Amino acid sequence: MSVKNISITPGWEKYMTKEYLDLVERGPYGKQKKVSEMGSFKEVLEEHPMCAGCAMTLFIRLTMVGLPNPEHTVLIGTAGCGRLALTQTSIPFIYGNYGDTNAVASGLKRGLEVRFKDQAKDVVVMAGDGGLADIGFSAVMHSWFRKERFTTIMLDNEVYGNTGGQESGMTERGALLKMAPKGKMFEKMDMIGLAQTSGVAYIARLTPTNPTRVASVVRKAVLIAREVGPTFIQAYTSCNIEYAIPTPKVLDDARDIEAKRYGFMEIISDEAKAYLDSIDTAKKAKK
Amino acid sequence: MYLVAHIDQAICSETACRLCTQYCPEANTILYDNAAKTAFVAVDRCKGCEICVGICDDLAKHHAIKMIMITDLKSTFELSKEGFRPDKWDGNHP
Ligand SMILES: Cc1ncc(C[n+]2csc(CCOP(=O)(O)OP(=O)(O)O)c2C)c(N)n1
Ligand code: SF4
Ligand code: SF4
Ligand code: SF4
Repeated sequence: MSVKNISITPGWEKYMTKEYLDLVERGPYGKQKKVSEMGSFKEVLEEHPMCAGCAMTLFIRLTMVGLPNPEHTVLIGTAGCGRLALTQTSIPFIYGNYGDTNAVASGLKRGLEVRFKDQAKDVVVMAGDGGLADIGFSAVMHSWFRKERFTTIMLDNEVYGNTGGQESGMTERGALLKMAPKGKMFEKMDMIGLAQTSGVAYIARLTPTNPTRVASVVRKAVLIAREVGPTFIQAYTSCNIEYAIPTPKVLDDARDIEAKRYGFMEIISDEAKAYLDSIDTAKKAKK
Repeated sequence: MYLVAHIDQAICSETACRLCTQYCPEANTILYDNAAKTAFVAVDRCKGCEICVGICDDLAKHHAIKMIMITDLKSTFELSKEGFRPDKWDGNHP
């Protein structure tokens, strides 16, 4: 691992934007930053057009802090709200067609392993519940069956936010939405159970109520996917527009939903646990 | 005309808990002045959601953040103009 690939070729500094110069000098490279240091280092995320107070925005921001090696990461996204911010990071981003993300990520990760034998490259899919549980469902499941080594993060706002409020497989039964005016008639899909059945090495479900926890879950998921197997994070990231949540109440809603039904849970395989322990042991030995 | 978050430096610097910096949805919007030990807002980045007000009032219990009309601020800090330069803003931000 090296930060060489983000440094500027000598002589070209004057042509680079201020934002890039700041990133090279004060960005989260070389040593992983802590959530408690936010506000004191240059983040990889820039300005973007996601709505004010959107919990998904907060979750994406925290995810970027959790990435163990942003300089060696490639993000895959697709249609949906999240890509509006994901495209405004200093991390390479690939726009998969709606439904294709996990197929694109599979090929990319395999290609990177052939191309960069001496460097670990992390591939992270971040897309909506519609993108992953409905239209991308078969690509997600097959990437898990094939044990592809990348992380899938579902930004679960329980609705198609970007297209004005259709129900998704992840919407709760009974939820009233603009385009589900009688209320959704079916149960929320159990993606956690499906991930378990498919043998996903690390699975987590959480909300953005605890920023340090978000970053730590992302770090674990990305490290395990690097060496062990597929990892999956399902994050409640409310859509304040489609669920009519006043923005000052967005975190109250997250705390409420967490307490009532979403919770925080992690499922980790023995192999994945042993791998994380070996990283910790190596880190302690270094000190 | 619109509202932006404004942090009372005198109250914030008493504890400088840095909680609001972790919960603002926007990146590098609530920044931190190491010399004055206070958080402060880059107004060009603030989308006025008021999440930070709830964090400071209810979680930190410090009541240091208020929403203020941008035209009522005496001086403002804009990240797009200043860049991310703590060495320059420490002790000198508006
Ligand atoms: C193949 C295809 N079908 C439909 C669309 C239109 N489309 C764009 S975004 C979107 C919904 C996004 O919902 P979700 O994935 O849940 O993400 P969110 O916007 O809620 O974050 C749809 C249906 C598309 N871009 N491509
Ligand atoms: S439409 Fe909903 S999910 Fe999309 S950016 Fe706005 S609040 Fe967030
Ligand atoms: S939450 Fe309040 S007291 Fe804590 S850093 Fe923010 S403004 Fe200061
Ligand atoms: S009002 Fe919202 S966008 Fe503005 S500083 Fe507070 S949390 Fe950040």
